[in-house]
Parts: sequence; C-alpha cells; structure tokens
Amino acid sequence: MSSAGDAHRRRRRAQTPAEQTFADLMNGFSLDSGRKRTRPPSSPMPEREPAPVAPQQEAPHFEAVVPEVPDASIVRAYAWTGGRTRSNINLEIETLVSANDQSRQSAGILQAEHQHVVELCRSPRSVAEVAALMRLPLGVAKVLVGDMAERGLVDVHQTASAGGDTPDLGLMERVLSGLRRL
Amino acid sequence: MDYVGSRFPELGPPGPPGRELTSAKIVVAGGFGVGKCTFIRSIVDSDLLTMTALPPERAGLVTELVRIQFGRVWLDPGLALHLFVAPQWQDPRAGWSDVVRGAVGAVVLFDVMRPADSVDAMRYFEDHHIPYVLALNNVHASVRSDVKAIIRGMGISPDVPVVNCDPRVRLSVREALITLTEHAKLDRWRRRPGPDETTPLAPVC
Repeated sequence: MSSAGDAHRRRRRAQTPAEQTFADLMNGFSLDSGRKRTRPPSSPMPEREPAPVAPQQEAPHFEAVVPEVPDASIVRAYAWTGGRTRSNINLEIETLVSANDQSRQSAGILQAEHQHVVELCRSPRSVAEVAALMRLPLGVAKVLVGDMAERGLVDVHQTASAGGDTPDLGLMERVLSGLRRL
Repeated sequence: MDYVGSRFPELGPPGPPGRELTSAKIVVAGGFGVGKCTFIRSIVDSDLLTMTALPPERAGLVTELVRIQFGRVWLDPGLALHLFVAPQWQDPRAGWSDVVRGAVGAVVLFDVMRPADSVDAMRYFEDHHIPYVLALNNVHASVRSDVKAIIRGMGISPDVPVVNCDPRVRLSVREALITLTEHAKLDRWRRRPGPDETTPLAPVC
C-alpha cells in the first residue's frame, strides 16, 4: 500500500518539474556543512541526497530552467547566419583570418558583428579565437567569417592541412624549428 | 615595437599584410585534471581562451555547450601554433573532429595513478592513425623505466614515444612538443604515397 503511495507521489513529482527543481535548489544550499541536516521523518523526501549546488546544475532536472539563457543567445546567433550552420568556404578552427584594405575602408558601414570581426582581425586571428572572443558557438563563427570572406571583407589564410589531410612535411619542419627556437 | 605577443620583436607584430600566413595545431589529451591546461599555459604567452561548440548531432535539442580551451603561440612571424585541449570524452563527436582534423599530432598526458583515464584518447589516436606521444606526468626518475615497461606492456605500439613531462615547466613542455613533431614527421614520411622522392630514412613499412 505504502509503495503504491510512493509511486503515486513519485509520479506526481515527475509531473511537476518546476516544483521539484525549486526543492532541489533549496536542498542544494549547504549554508553550514558542519551541522548535520535534520529532516522531519514524515515529509516526503526525494530519493536523492541533497547535494551541493554545483553538481546539481548538471542534473537533467535543471535543463528545463537553467539553460534558457545560453539557448536563447544561441538562437540569436544562428539568426545572424540565417540558420545556416555551414560556410561555403572551408575553414578549419586554426585557419587564420585578417582584416584587409577593403574592410578598413568600409569601416563605418558594416553590420555590427562584421565590424566586431574586422576589429578583432586587425592582427591575424584564428577562427577559434574569433569564436572565443566574440563568445559565439564555433559553427556560427565559421559561417560569419565565411560570409565576410566571400564579400572580401577579410582575408583567409588557408592552412596547410586544409582538406582534412595531415599537414605537409614543410609545415612540420617549420613547426619543429619554431619550437626549437622557443 | 611594443607588441608583446611575438617572440620576434625586431620583426614587428606577426602577419603584416602581404606576408604569407599559416597555422598548425596540436591536440593535448588526457584524463580529467592531468594537467592539460597547465601544459598549454606553460608554452603560450597569453592566458587560454575558451571556445564553445554545439554537438552537431544534437543541435536541435536543448543541450549544454561543449567548451574547448586552447592557446596560441607564434612560432615564427608567419606561423601560429594552436594547442587545443581535447574535448570531454563523454561526448567524443562534439567538437572533436574539428579539433583533431589536420592536427600535427597529439600529446596524451598520462597520470600513472590513473592510467585508465588516458586509454580512450590513446585508442582513438591509434585507430585514426594520428601520431601521438605519451607524456608521463612528472614520474620520478627512479621508477621511470619501470613505468615505461608497464606502458609498453599495455600493448602500445613501440613506435609511440614515451617521454617524461612536467606540465608546469616550459622547457619540459617544449621537449614533449618537439618529440611529438619529430614523431609526426617520421610518421608522415612512412606514410608517403609514393617511393619516388628521396627520403632521409628508408621506409620501414
């Protein structure tokens, strides 16, 4: 009888995720870990032990509430790219990009994010650096940089490994001598 | 010449317009807390950057972003070397192919107390024929040969170099990277498609 009641309670808890999330959050506040937490025996406690806040953020229960902010920004970022996740230009994450004369001349009339990329790339930056410094997902940064390259706003310096193959021997030799000089 | 990111101050900042620019990358893999970020921080001048990527196969779902840390150092005025921390192993395809595609090779940091943590990475590099070195995380010299013997006993190809490395020491990190690049170069020679070109070493296989 009691197990049926438990199952019912569990079902109810599963159907109200917001309530559970809030309870978990409150359980996660370990204000003084030295004192032992006392819980009334009659209250319906969750099966899980109360844990510190940080691990709980990774628990799936939180997904409904917490990731909304990053998710929204991802949506906005993909809206920039028109929903595309691929660029016509083959860009690796280490591919270097630099601003050119055309982008310097058209400084005032660019879209804000293009302007941002141009400013970043005054000294050569890799696609990974552009993504990291603009806080964009890698796929979005690739499309953005690819579009700008197609419009001639930035120069793309193809890597020796472009095409998915291993780097050629000349590049490896250069890496080696560079490392030896470091 | 107040540019601080270059080790060639007399040549000015790297990559003025017109100069040929290129880049290369090396992957740093290993278990959690083995010192991957410390390793990279020791060799690059600036702090590490964090790039995010969406797992492509789950792009439609609400999911957490994969964070990939990396650093960059200019090896000569036209060559930028990127060092990427391999993404988490729980989700091997998330951002992983972007990181390893076209890499010179990989350094697998190996914690002797937790050898299993590095096995996934080693297996991946073996399977995909990506040259790698095993960098033992600061093993005391007295037991180094024993540890190396044990690692060889794990069935790792005898071609794979095993080096000792303290990720906090710049020279030690540099040695590991040089060993890797030499190994990768040799590996590349051996995989050359045709025997037409002159090789410094006779092809082994």
